[in-house]
Amino acid sequence: MSQSRNQPSARAVPADLVDEKIVIAYYMAALTFITISMLAGLLVALQLVRWNPFNGAELLSPGRWRMIHTNAIAYGFLANAFLGTLHWAVPRLTFHKVASKALSWFIFYAWQVIVLATAAGIVIGPTLQDQPWVMELAKQTHLPMGLGAQGLEWGETPFWIDPVALLGLLLVAVNFMVPIGRSKGPMYVTLWYFMAAFVWTFLTYAMGNLLPEYAVAGTSAGAIGGLFIHDLVGLFVTPLGWGLMYYFVPILLKKPIWSHGLSLVGFWGLAFFYPLQGIHHFLYTPIPMFLQYGAVISTIAVELVVATVVINFFGTLGSKGYDQFVNNLPIRYFYTGMVFYFITCFQCALQVTLTFQKLIHFTDWVVGHAHLVMFGVFSLWLFGIMIYLFPRLLGRPWYSQKLLTYHYWLSAGGLFVMFLDLTLAGVFQGWYWASLQPWDASTNGSTPFWIVRVFAGLAMFGGLLCFLYNLWMTAKGAESVDESPALAAAAT
Amino acid sequence: MSDARTSDVRGTASSRRKTWITIAMAVLILIPSLYGFAGKFIEFVHIYRGTGGGEFAVAPILNYLLASAGFFCMLLWAAWNGMFRDVEQPKIDFLENERLLDRRGPAA
Repeated sequence: MSQSRNQPSARAVPADLVDEKIVIAYYMAALTFITISMLAGLLVALQLVRWNPFNGAELLSPGRWRMIHTNAIAYGFLANAFLGTLHWAVPRLTFHKVASKALSWFIFYAWQVIVLATAAGIVIGPTLQDQPWVMELAKQTHLPMGLGAQGLEWGETPFWIDPVALLGLLLVAVNFMVPIGRSKGPMYVTLWYFMAAFVWTFLTYAMGNLLPEYAVAGTSAGAIGGLFIHDLVGLFVTPLGWGLMYYFVPILLKKPIWSHGLSLVGFWGLAFFYPLQGIHHFLYTPIPMFLQYGAVISTIAVELVVATVVINFFGTLGSKGYDQFVNNLPIRYFYTGMVFYFITCFQCALQVTLTFQKLIHFTDWVVGHAHLVMFGVFSLWLFGIMIYLFPRLLGRPWYSQKLLTYHYWLSAGGLFVMFLDLTLAGVFQGWYWASLQPWDASTNGSTPFWIVRVFAGLAMFGGLLCFLYNLWMTAKGAESVDESPALAAAAT
Repeated sequence: MSDARTSDVRGTASSRRKTWITIAMAVLILIPSLYGFAGKFIEFVHIYRGTGGGEFAVAPILNYLLASAGFFCMLLWAAWNGMFRDVEQPKIDFLENERLLDRRGPAA
């Protein structure tokens, strides 16, 4: 094939294009936080079935650790894993190093401090706030906010961390936009998604954390909160996730994406339809109906956009898709995540209608939906990427392919059981409430579902332990106990 | 020579047909969309003027417009700079580049 205009010569590429150490460091941090997040999730699940082993311990109260569960997965696991993978993908896509290696390491340490400070604020903040000397200090300095969590889902980061986190996000954007800006010619779709994510994440974080705290109140703040929690999924996690799929899937399948044109339709569709749909979390509220209808329609429109993306990826998989799915482990993670993504968005298109909302609002249906997208889609994708990259980063094959397979089945299977269980629980709860039975009737009726959820969560955590043990043995240089040469070859 | 000319004429006719179909489809989609948008915009103005809490409507709309306006400008910029001219080429270049990097070894 002749050299095209976007293809520099081999000599033009810097020798140390990718800083592999920082990729590993981000992955280690990500895996630490997902372990904490899953343990926190298990604690909350145990509390719901009244088996909480730390009952009465204030610092381990499920109310606080539920926020650790959600924040650690979003900012600890997903953000760290995405940042690590960006350090691999962006330089290789652009043939330029990140703006500054020193800045990369500064961001890495700063981000860990931000996540840990958020956790400290959530766990210790409320206790500290009750101390007389803290109350006195707050009175003297006219401190308007609490030291603990802010009262906004996924925006619980204490107010004093928000400016630092925003500065961190700005530096991330600068560090990656410099190599993207230096690349020539029409851009590959992955870079479109990445550029958008850098802008959107900053704007979304600023909107969700600053506006309700300082500028707007009441229903208007509720509307902003709705936009924030949904845009955090759609404008931070989604563009990075799909951008990485467009990068890794063609590499692993060794063939280009089916239609680059269709991929751009998906990108621009997301750009214009997604930002308005967060209001769908607040149907039947005093927010003007035309805004609620707008959110419903844009949510349904996004489902059409998602259909183009999923069709594109399955078109790329082609006629030998089954073989790839069975024998290529990262591809199995990626396509399982894509199926889950389609289910999530299809569910979204249904549950945003006023009819559905009447039944499922505030029920466990929503919890199941959130787990499906955050773990079933993006966490599975990131594990698939790690399975592909760790052998390259560590310079040796995985210790055990069987353990990787266990991780896949326990994670994907456990998550699917949890999703079905919580969806069903949500329907039951909705009908209990609609029939105006006493509250106890709905909690008693939910208990069997919550017990199933504990075991599904234990399966997922068991999968994670398989992965961590496997990684430990691989990093230690233990001799590989490979049983499946096909899987091993595909994964490396 | 004559075959080439016939093929050119056919090509021009086919291209013209595609242009007309594109315009017809665009009009078909745009007219109801604009009608709907105008209706909702008028409703939005009435809500903003009519009640004390009109900012309920303005805050999310402004957020959306701020985000979308930037991306609309980027779309225009991309089209102006030929990003969509040879729309399938980047997927070929990207894989070639990856092969090039892999040939250089894992450190690249």
